[in-house]
Amino acid sequence: MTERITKHKILDDLELNTVSFTWNNHVLYGNEGESLTAALLANNIRKIREHEKDGQPRGMYCNIGHCSECRVTVNGKRNQRACLTPLVKDMVIEQQFEVPYVVKEGSPYV
Amino acid sequence: MFDTIIIGAGPAGLSAAKVLQDNQKVLVIDEYYHAGGRLLGQLYEEKKGKWWNGLKIAKELILETENKSEILVSTSVYDVEYDNNYTVHTTAGVFEASHLIIATGAREKSTPLPGWDLPGVMTVGAAQILTNFNRVKPGNKGVIVGINPLSMVIAMELGYADIGVAKICMPPRNIINTKSPKDAFETLLSLGSSAPSKFISAGVAVADKAKPLQQTALKLFPASGVKALGLPISIKEQVVTINGKNKVESVTVQKTDTGGNPIPNTKYDIDCDFVCISDGLAPLSEIGSLLNLKHVYTESLGGYVPLHSKNMQTELPNLYVAGNVTGIENAKIAMLQGRAAAFNILGYKGRLSDTLRHIDDERKNAKVKFHTDLIAGRAMLEDMWQLQK
Ligand SMILES: Cc1cc2nc3c(=O)[nH]c(=O)nc-3n(C[C@H](O)[C@H](O)[C@H](O)COP(=O)(O)OP(=O)(O)OC[C@H]3O[C@@H](n4cnc5c(N)ncnc54)[C@H](O)[C@@H]3O)c2cc1C
Ligand code: FES
Repeated sequence: MTERITKHKILDDLELNTVSFTWNNHVLYGNEGESLTAALLANNIRKIREHEKDGQPRGMYCNIGHCSECRVTVNGKRNQRACLTPLVKDMVIEQQFEVPYVVKEGSPYV
Repeated sequence: MFDTIIIGAGPAGLSAAKVLQDNQKVLVIDEYYHAGGRLLGQLYEEKKGKWWNGLKIAKELILETENKSEILVSTSVYDVEYDNNYTVHTTAGVFEASHLIIATGAREKSTPLPGWDLPGVMTVGAAQILTNFNRVKPGNKGVIVGINPLSMVIAMELGYADIGVAKICMPPRNIINTKSPKDAFETLLSLGSSAPSKFISAGVAVADKAKPLQQTALKLFPASGVKALGLPISIKEQVVTINGKNKVESVTVQKTDTGGNPIPNTKYDIDCDFVCISDGLAPLSEIGSLLNLKHVYTESLGGYVPLHSKNMQTELPNLYVAGNVTGIENAKIAMLQGRAAAFNILGYKGRLSDTLRHIDDERKNAKVKFHTDLIAGRAMLEDMWQLQK
C-alpha cells in the first residue's frame, strides 16, 4: 500500500479533508485540493494511462507539469495533466487508452 | 494592462512581486495549482538544528504578495510576443504589460534506461513533491539512480518521512550518460564533512592536497558502497534495467570498476516498488526562445540560459530574467535575483547594488551547491553580455 504521511518529523501534521471522486467509475477517496497524481497514488493506483501508440502502462513521472506522462480525462475533458489538477469533490476521472492510429508499425504509412 | 507580468510564482517570481507591488500593478502567472514553485518540496538542515523549510517560506511569500499583486495559478503561458509591450498568451486568456520577468525555474534531466517508462519510475523531484507537499509516500522501498547534490538531498528527505531507500547508485553508461564513479565521488567529496563515512572523509582529507591520493581513495571505495548520511551510496554499481510487468517490481544492478566499466557476472536484482531517476537540473528557457533571445550554453549553469546581465536584464527592452532560468542555484539566490530584477525595473540603483553584493556572498557560502564552477560560468556570461553591448 502507498501510505499518507500524516505525521512528519519536521513538517506540520497533514490536514485531511476527505472527499469522494470516481476513477474509471469506481468511487475512491482523496484529500481535497491535492493533485490527482497524489490522490490516485494514495489509492495505490500507479498506472494512470495506457500509451496512445502501443497500450503500454504509464504513470506519473515528473509530478510538476513538465513531462505530460500523467494525462487523464477530467470531467469529460481529455489530456489534463493529473499532477497539475487539484482534486475537487465528485470529480470524474478516467484513464485514457491506446488510440487507433494509422502511423503504426505494420501499417502502409510507416 | 499591467505594469509588470511575472511568469512563474516560485521564489524568484514572488520575491520580485513583493518589491514591485507597492509601486506597480503586478500579475504573477503559474501553471501549478499552488504558488511557491520548487520551494514547496524543499526541506534540508542548513546548520545543526536550523532547517530550510521551503513550504513555510513559500507560504510567507504568498501571504506577503497575494493582497497587493494578482496571482493567477493553474494557468500556463504558451506564447509571448513583443511589440513595445509584452503580450502574454495563457490558458486563462491574453494579458499585456510594459515589463516582463521570466522566472520559470528549472526542469529535471533524466538518464534513459530500459524500463524507465514503467509506472513507479519517477524523477527525484516527483518523489520530493509527493513526500513533502502532497504527503503521499512514493512507495515503501525505492532505488535512486544518479548521484548528484539534488538526489542526495532528496534521499535524505525520504528518510525524514520513513521511506526506505535500498540503494543510491549510478545510471548505466551509454551515449547519453558518460558519468563515471569519479564524478560521483567528487559529488560526495563536495558534501565534505556532512558526509560521515570514513571512505568519504578520507577522500575529503586528501582532496585539495594530492589528486593521486584521491585516486587511491576512489579505488579503495568498497564495491558494494558505503553508508553515508544514513544512505546506502554505491558509486561502483549501476542500475542496468528496471523490471516489472505493469509497475516497478525490481531493478537489476551490475558492479563496475573504478572507470565505470561493467564487470561481467556481477548482476543481481533488488526488489523495490519505486525508482527515482536523477540527472541534475536544466534551466527552463522556452519563453526566452519564443522571444528569440540569444541563448548561451554554459555547463556550470546547467545548460542553455538566455543571455543576460548580472542586473537580470536581457537584450529586449523591459525584459528581465530571475531565478533558475538564468542558471541552476539554490532558492535563496533565486529570491535575491527576483529582488534585483525588481529594483532594476524601479530604478533603485542603491538597493540593486546591495542585492548584487548579497548574491555574491550567498554564492560563496551556499550550503547546496549544484556546480563547482558556477562563479566562473557567471563571470563568462557577464563578459559575453558586455561584449555584445
Ligand atoms: C524538482 C526540483 C527540486 C529542487 N530541489 C531543490 C532543493 O531541494 N534545494 C535547492 O536549493 N534547490 C532545489 N531546486 C532548485 C530550484 O530550482 C531552486 O531552489 C528555486 O526553486 C528556483 O526558483 P525559481 O523561482 O527560479 O523557479 P521555480 O521554483 O522552479 O518556480 C518556477 C515556477 O514557474 C512556473 N512555470 C514555469 N513555466 C511556466 C509556464 N510556461 N507557464 C506558467 N508557469 C510556469 C512553474 O510552475 C514554477 O512554479 C530544485 C529544482 C527542481 C526542478
Ligand atoms: S507527471 Fe509529468 S506532467 Fe504530470
